[in-house]
Amino acid sequence: MTWLLANLETILLAIFGVSALVGGVLVVMLRQPMRVAMALISTMIFLGGIYGLLGVHFIAAFQVLIYVGAVMVFMVYVIMLLDPRDPATRRRFSGLVIPGVAVAAVVAGLLIRGVAADAGTGAAAAGAARGFSLAEFASAFLNKYWLHFELTSVLLLAAVVAAIAVIRANREDHG
Amino acid sequence: MDKTHALLYLALALFALGLCGVIIRRNLLVMLMSMELMLNGVNLSLVAFADRMGSAEGAVLVFLIFVVAAAEIAIAIPIVLLLAKSRRTLDADAFADLRG
Amino acid sequence: MLTAIALLPLAGFLLNGLFATRLFPNPRGTRFVTLVGCGLPILAFLLTLDAFAELRAGGYVPLSETLYTWISIGGAPFAIEFWFDRLTAVMVLIVTGVGSLIHVYSVGYMKGDESYARYFAYLNLFLFFMLLLVLGRSLLVLFVGWEGVGLASYLLIGFWFADPEKAAAGKKAFIVNRIGDAGFLLGMFVLYTALGTLDMDRINAAFMASPGPAISATLVGILLFIGATGKSAQIPLYVWLPDAMAGPTPVSALIHAATMVTAGVYMVARMSGIYVHAEGASQLVAWVGVLTAFFAATIAIAQNDIKKVLAYSTVSQLGFMFLAAGVGAYGVAVFHLYTHAFFKACLFLGAGSVIHAMSGEQDIRKMGALAKRIPVTFWTFAIATAAIAGLPPLAGFFSKDEILWYAYASERGGSFWLVAIAALTALMTAFYMFRLLWLTFLGESRLDAHAAAHVHESPFSMTGVLVALAILSAIGGFLSIPHVLEPMLPLPGILASRSGAHLPIVVLSVALGLAGLLGAWWMFGGKAERAKAFGEKVAGVRRVLEGKYFVDELYDLVIGRPLLWISENVFLKIGDRALIDGTLNGLAALAQRTAAAMGRLQTGHLHFYALLALAGLLGALAWGWRHV
Repeated sequence: MTWLLANLETILLAIFGVSALVGGVLVVMLRQPMRVAMALISTMIFLGGIYGLLGVHFIAAFQVLIYVGAVMVFMVYVIMLLDPRDPATRRRFSGLVIPGVAVAAVVAGLLIRGVAADAGTGAAAAGAARGFSLAEFASAFLNKYWLHFELTSVLLLAAVVAAIAVIRANREDHG
Repeated sequence: MDKTHALLYLALALFALGLCGVIIRRNLLVMLMSMELMLNGVNLSLVAFADRMGSAEGAVLVFLIFVVAAAEIAIAIPIVLLLAKSRRTLDADAFADLRG
Repeated sequence: MLTAIALLPLAGFLLNGLFATRLFPNPRGTRFVTLVGCGLPILAFLLTLDAFAELRAGGYVPLSETLYTWISIGGAPFAIEFWFDRLTAVMVLIVTGVGSLIHVYSVGYMKGDESYARYFAYLNLFLFFMLLLVLGRSLLVLFVGWEGVGLASYLLIGFWFADPEKAAAGKKAFIVNRIGDAGFLLGMFVLYTALGTLDMDRINAAFMASPGPAISATLVGILLFIGATGKSAQIPLYVWLPDAMAGPTPVSALIHAATMVTAGVYMVARMSGIYVHAEGASQLVAWVGVLTAFFAATIAIAQNDIKKVLAYSTVSQLGFMFLAAGVGAYGVAVFHLYTHAFFKACLFLGAGSVIHAMSGEQDIRKMGALAKRIPVTFWTFAIATAAIAGLPPLAGFFSKDEILWYAYASERGGSFWLVAIAALTALMTAFYMFRLLWLTFLGESRLDAHAAAHVHESPFSMTGVLVALAILSAIGGFLSIPHVLEPMLPLPGILASRSGAHLPIVVLSVALGLAGLLGAWWMFGGKAERAKAFGEKVAGVRRVLEGKYFVDELYDLVIGRPLLWISENVFLKIGDRALIDGTLNGLAALAQRTAAAMGRLQTGHLHFYALLALAGLLGALAWGWRHV
């Protein structure tokens, strides 16, 4: 029990990580879009848990709020709007399953080799993770990167305008 | 294997899964969701690095990615809706009008 | 002032040329064309007189005027500079004087032609380039004029370009001249390389200096003479001139008799500094000249087209001029050029008047007994004929006599054979010219009824010019050009052993003219039965002469056909079609096939694009691992 408590964080991290991975696999494998969405949501929530365990609570909060709360709700909403008998729903995979999996595997292999090379050098032992505080984040965010922050607002504005334009163009086409 | 590397492997796995999904899934919406999965993988790697380095920059970038993801989905969803409306399907292969 | 002389006709060209289509149908516009077209050349003539007066007042020190420095290479300026000395003065007076008369004549001759303004524009353009040719100080300016008169000649020969034969004659003139121009250009290059200047007075001075320049005067002389054979229609490049008669008759008179074709003679006289030192080249000039004179005269005897006879006569007379230049008597060559300008212009314009009267008929076999119907034309034509035949005291007598004399007695290559051939040619000249006179104006009428009804004397603007030129042909010889030019172009010395032979030569010369006259009378007088009988007796010879020795056919066989064959089989089939077109088509086909292959990649399938993007990422990663 004491071992459990002492290693609670690690154990939780492992559980969340494995769960997130399972969710990711399900995203690729499941047939129904709604189920895919659920798998994705679960992955995101587990990732949020990992962020929380790492101590970046605000990112965890945003992960759940923006991704799950906004993006995925939107997604689910659309899925509900659409025709469930869409043939695209019935046929899961495209014709490129084998090359797609192969190439993705090679990419993953390459990336893993890179990470493994880093892990093997002993750099990992140089120091444990240090973490950072919310105050640090806040000052970096608003002192150093305020311009980027402001630019995202421009991006959002552009997105809104674009969304309206897309809808209107469609309406003019049909009406 | 320490925490950082474990998280990086997880991030890589999510990213590769996303990639795979984009290529092999037939449904446009699922392809979009696979992209979200890739973004999540990248986010995870960024957070892991930020945690390891003890610097907030990675977290800032994650934050910005949230915003971009939101913007992206705000455009993508109307487009998907319009496509579904015009062809009555979301099969990506149905939209091959740009064949050379 | 020199600039103004040259530029006035250019102004005329621009005015008439730019507004030609606007002006013609309008009577007031036509009057404007006439005024500009004739007025500016006359003005140029008056300015020339003024310039000549100034030259005389200045003790014959050459006037010069720099208009514009075109370019300066390595410190050597190429300037458009005008130069006015004795020789130039004579030439410019001939060009503007005879030119103005012919312009005036053209007013009547071209009346009612639908391209009246274009005609005067071209004629003025010709005059401009001719003046550039004779006024230029540098060979370069001369060459620009040289090419320019070729252009104007081409435009005017092909003036009625709707007729393919006339257009072809224009092209022939242009192309044959190109061959000569190649030699001329090479000569210029050699001169410039050796002397670093193209100013003709400097070149002459360089050759006159005691250690002469380090180039062969003979080489330069021959190269320049090749240019002259093209422009002045000598063997072997004379073939274009008879065909050039396709142009309007005043053009034949101005360009192809009086002025342009004498450019070669002028050039040889102007570059006499070289020829004095080039014995071989001078011999060549003399022999080419005398042989051209002889062959052209034999051809002229058998021609039946009034303008063709005159054309071959021109070739023949140009040969005489080159003969004089070849034996060192440059002044005499210019003298004959001067007299020839008058009587040949008069003859051509007379022929034009005859053609005008005959409503376009040029075949002398269909003429005869026109003397009473068009008396002014007849009398002027007769005077000019006597002048070219060399009867005293007309202009041709003086110049031809001098030529024969120097051909015999000059210490620079005078020889018995030269004078023998020249004398025979003079006899033939008199014979064929009087034959022309008899067949056209005397004897019995061979006109058909329709033509006979329309015969009429030309208007005063034409006959007045004829009279003026006839008077000049009659008295022109009394102005001794060789003496005027002697300080500049000294006459060659006389061989001591032949110094007594001048009087016999004079007598011979007159006798030859009279013999030609009597021969023609005997042959062609009355019904010309003797001529017919004689012609049948030597039918073979006659065929050869009428066929002009088949030189055109020979050139076609030896040069034209092989060139065509090479063009067709080598340049067109291999070079153009296979190599150039093949390369271009091949490149296009390559692009097309590549595009088709690449286009197959554009399947339109999103998944496939994603896969490609991924493959790209893979490549980038692999490269990154290898190199970073």
